Amino acid sequence: MTATDPTTNSTTEPQRKGLDLSMWRELYGFTKPYKLQVRLLMLNAVITASTESTLPIVTKHLIDKIEVWQSAVAGAPFPSIGFELLAFAGLISILATSVWHFIRYAGFLKAHMAADIREAGFLKLQQLEFAYFDQRASGWLVARMTSDCERLARIMAWGTLDVLWGSSLITGITVAMLLLNWKLALLVLLVMPLLAYASLYFQRRILMASRAIRKLNSQVTADFNEAIMGVKTTKSFTREAASLEEFQLRTGAMFEASVRNAVLSAVYLPVVLTIGSFAAAIILIAGGQDVLAGTITLGTLVAFMSYTRHLFEPLQQLAHIFSELQMAQAAGERILELVHAVPSIADSKAVQKRMADQLLSPQPGCAADGFPDAFDTIELRGVSFAYNPEEPVLDNINLTIAPGETVALVGSTGGGKTTLVSLLCRFYEPTAGQVLFGGIDYRDRSLDWLQSHLGVVLQDAHLFSGSILENIRYGRLDATDEEVRSAAELVGADRFVKRMTGGYQFDVGEGGARLSAGERQLVSFARAILADPRILVMDEATANIDTETERHIQKGLERVLKGRTAFVIAHRLSTIETADRIVVIEKGKVVEQGSHKALMALAGRYRELHAHQGIQELGTHADDWN
Amino acid sequence: MKTPHHNSQNLIELTRGQRALYASAILVMALGIVTIFAIPQITQAVIDGFHGSADEPLRFEAPGFLLRIGQALGVTGAFGFLSLAGVIVILITVLAGVLQYLRGRWAASASEGIMRELRDALFDHFARLPMAFFDRSNVGDLVQRATSDVETLRVFLSSQVVEIGRAILLLVFVTPILFSMDTQLAWISLAMMPVVVVYSLFFFRSITQRFQAVDEAEGHLTSVLQENLTGIRVVRSFGRRAFEEDKFGRANREHRDATWSLMRLLSTYWSLSDALCFAQMGLVLFFGAQRTMAGELTLGTWVAFMEYAAMVIWPVRQMGRTLVDASKAGVAMTRVNEILGEAIEEPHDALATSDATLTGELEIRGLSFGFKPDERVLEDINLHVRRGDTVAFVGPPGAGKSVLLELLLRLHDYAEGSIRLDGHELNDLPCALVRRDMAVVMQSPFLYARSIAANLHLATHDLTEERMIAATEAAAMHASIEGFDHGYDTLLGERGVTLSGGQKQRLAIARALLREAPFLILDDALSAVDLGTEARILDALRQRRGKQTTLLVAHRLSTVRHADQIFVMHDGRIVERGRHEELVASGGRYAHLWSMQTELERDLEPNAQAGASHDRN
Repeated sequence: MTATDPTTNSTTEPQRKGLDLSMWRELYGFTKPYKLQVRLLMLNAVITASTESTLPIVTKHLIDKIEVWQSAVAGAPFPSIGFELLAFAGLISILATSVWHFIRYAGFLKAHMAADIREAGFLKLQQLEFAYFDQRASGWLVARMTSDCERLARIMAWGTLDVLWGSSLITGITVAMLLLNWKLALLVLLVMPLLAYASLYFQRRILMASRAIRKLNSQVTADFNEAIMGVKTTKSFTREAASLEEFQLRTGAMFEASVRNAVLSAVYLPVVLTIGSFAAAIILIAGGQDVLAGTITLGTLVAFMSYTRHLFEPLQQLAHIFSELQMAQAAGERILELVHAVPSIADSKAVQKRMADQLLSPQPGCAADGFPDAFDTIELRGVSFAYNPEEPVLDNINLTIAPGETVALVGSTGGGKTTLVSLLCRFYEPTAGQVLFGGIDYRDRSLDWLQSHLGVVLQDAHLFSGSILENIRYGRLDATDEEVRSAAELVGADRFVKRMTGGYQFDVGEGGARLSAGERQLVSFARAILADPRILVMDEATANIDTETERHIQKGLERVLKGRTAFVIAHRLSTIETADRIVVIEKGKVVEQGSHKALMALAGRYRELHAHQGIQELGTHADDWN
Repeated sequence: MKTPHHNSQNLIELTRGQRALYASAILVMALGIVTIFAIPQITQAVIDGFHGSADEPLRFEAPGFLLRIGQALGVTGAFGFLSLAGVIVILITVLAGVLQYLRGRWAASASEGIMRELRDALFDHFARLPMAFFDRSNVGDLVQRATSDVETLRVFLSSQVVEIGRAILLLVFVTPILFSMDTQLAWISLAMMPVVVVYSLFFFRSITQRFQAVDEAEGHLTSVLQENLTGIRVVRSFGRRAFEEDKFGRANREHRDATWSLMRLLSTYWSLSDALCFAQMGLVLFFGAQRTMAGELTLGTWVAFMEYAAMVIWPVRQMGRTLVDASKAGVAMTRVNEILGEAIEEPHDALATSDATLTGELEIRGLSFGFKPDERVLEDINLHVRRGDTVAFVGPPGAGKSVLLELLLRLHDYAEGSIRLDGHELNDLPCALVRRDMAVVMQSPFLYARSIAANLHLATHDLTEERMIAATEAAAMHASIEGFDHGYDTLLGERGVTLSGGQKQRLAIARALLREAPFLILDDALSAVDLGTEARILDALRQRRGKQTTLLVAHRLSTVRHADQIFVMHDGRIVERGRHEELVASGGRYAHLWSMQTELERDLEPNAQAGASHDRN
């Protein structure tokens, strides 16, 4: 993943000291459907820990029996060890069974919660307005929906297990030692705080170091990606050596970070073992004295040694989960923020109510939102728009479009043409003014209604992976192969499709990467045509297509556009001139509008734009390059 | 055609510099194991030191080595010897810890060092492989080889080799110790080891399949997400929410079920292998009890046996799993070596071996070219471009325009015909030299994910701010850049600003202009630029006339009509050539294209009348 947080652009996430328990509690709400599994998981964690803390007792009994027998008078009968054997076998069976159960429940919870969290996020993403996506790169969102969801689910499922197992085991061991000999137990437990501190200290650092590595790793991936995607550019700039030098800085940093991380682990374990060896020494010295004094048996001494060895693992797990909870806090917040986000463009309460009414008692001729399905004019009334308040993009636009009219929008780049059609499609809503379809503000209509009447073709035509056939059919899911083909023929896409191996079954690759820009546009054109929309929006839809093919498309469009409203943004005048009306937009305002002829006669901005292409001055300025 | 250059390395060679360090790591690991194996000996000595019977109190007599060390240090009494044992345990642990630390550090330096060299080698290799390689490769696959496969190798070298080595060393060292203590119990202590390994090996083969199923499901899920989010505008504009939710729901459930199925198998594996390991401990415990009662073993030896068994069994259990995982490294190594084994375009020092200088003259004679033997993309191309001229290529997609320009850049090698730059045969010139002298803007220009200024700095080493602004002004991009919040420091790409198609083209043109190369190549580089801007850029280019040979491909005739020569291409051939007026007059393809536009003028008359009725101004 190459995603980084675009809103902060920082390489480190903010580090918080404390644990935000309320956030985790809220996330824990995702376990609600699985209450039974959570309980069983907890139960089995406790059973496992209890069994593990009982096992050394069996050994102790066995040793004690033999020691007693050894120090008894010679010829005493062998003690029976059948009970211990039975107890040991029984405990192992319980242990194996409870381990089997807890892995199953933790695995179940992890798999299901990851899926649930992801689904909640995805459903919300499908409702959120475009402005949300403008601020967040798609790669970043994908990372949230994949690795973040997995991580949170893992922490909640396995973390629950580790916390319960770890604390029960520590409790079990402590209780067992206290019961065996409380004085020695207290001496041994002196090392616990040291062990706990060392584990917390190192676990946190190790987690941080591995995160740094992950980050570097994703940068290395991005570098490789760039190197391969941009290989033509790199070659044409003969930058091979220079880019290698830059890359070496990255791999150098990666090397340092990886070694640092390994060194942390290489220090951590010896430190912990050394602390553990203090406990072992205490047992040998103080415990040995106790054995001599007869206050404990040799079996107890051995049991103590085995307990101290087992203290470390649960402590390590607890320290790990504690650090993870802290580290994953940011991920948890991001997911909750997404799940709680309120879409700013959505069907209003009133619209939803009308849709419910329409469902109960359908009115003939009405769409699902209860208003007439058909509309005549489209009107923009005093429409203004700004992405941020200081920079208005559109300023008080008034336009009325008659049914079936083709409107061309022209003007300088950044003048607001694309924003205007985005507002029309309700990808954004005006910050002031109204957009009316058949006299009804589109905010009073359902999004589905509007979008089902739209066909949009953009310059950067986005295709989905899959066949050409599937891509065109995206416009109308129930279209037959025949209908798909005739849509392709209409826009002249069939010529190139026939050349591809497999024809309509040709796999276009991710994002349509295996097609050229022009071919992608043709496919997306066919897709929009197939949708049979009432309103067709074309934003630079023919920029990468040669004049001859474009001409073909236009002929096809002439048939298609009958009775439809169309909005066309284009730089090529041949595309524009056939429009019923040309609207010139500059700096967010409509500066001129009218037919080609009328605007040429006006000798204003349009004529000026037109003059650049020089068509009307055919042949008269052939020498102006000299 | 020139023979490709084999300058390939492979992974085994890359480990050369690190082998000594690696060997040292293994050596200290062995020492560490020997050291830590002393601890059960001390436990044994202490336990066996307690003597007593039914009629006398327990006393402590240090046995064997503990006694000798104690005597040498002048230690006396039970407390003295017990304290000595405690101190020895601590000292041994510290020593073993130091060795463990060294092992960790050296193994990491060695393996990470190898990985660094491998990544660098791959990166360098990618930049030097011929375009033909990339044409037949898939970007995703290459990136995967350079990242996931390298990661597999890294895990193999940095941890799997170490883990397997450790388990083997543990077994190798523990065996003689156990046998020296008691032959019969030694056999029993090792009885389950092969069972545990074989069990893990066997199980992990099928577990690996489920891991793969999860990986595949995850890959599918990710691409469904990726496509939905990158294509969100399409999804919305066709109102395909239900369709997308359904598609995602299926992928999400598939992934969930694959994970769950993996976990079910793992639960069986882990619980059974836990049971096996505990059974091994039980064997030592109960058979040891039997042997102790039979008088064959001391109590201490028995306890020492249990400690050794516990030290060895868990790493050995891991070994089966690690062995299966490690088998992936073989596949990864092959995949990485495949790339490193590909022949590169030319030797690293090619530029130094040529003294040719290019000024901007181009002559092509009888050039034919195809990617496959039976498929000609270019057919008998002949043309001559004088230094400083501007020539244009027009024609439908697939006519061969872009391929011709790529040939000039030596991105492909031609076999038929000749291309001469200032009299030098192109195939004999180093790629580096040719590309240095050709500034090019591609159809869909590639910008690096760094700041705008950094992208411009790529063009030339000594870039002053003045020249930078002059170039962006010429490309009509300066004002747009100034409009960004961070101006020239604006970051491009996913982490920064996403430029529109036209902005990308203009920035790429500025970058190319800065090169001040004898040749300027614009491959449909103005397609996304609006007309007014295009005119300004063409104006700026006109001022370079005579200094820079310009080759351009365009669909808009306004872009090409002022060129010194226009070549109309069709199906790989030049079918018409000449100046604009000549071509229009000749009544051929170009004239047809042109008339389509002028015809529009006439067609428009009635439409214009109709359109005027809507005019509300």
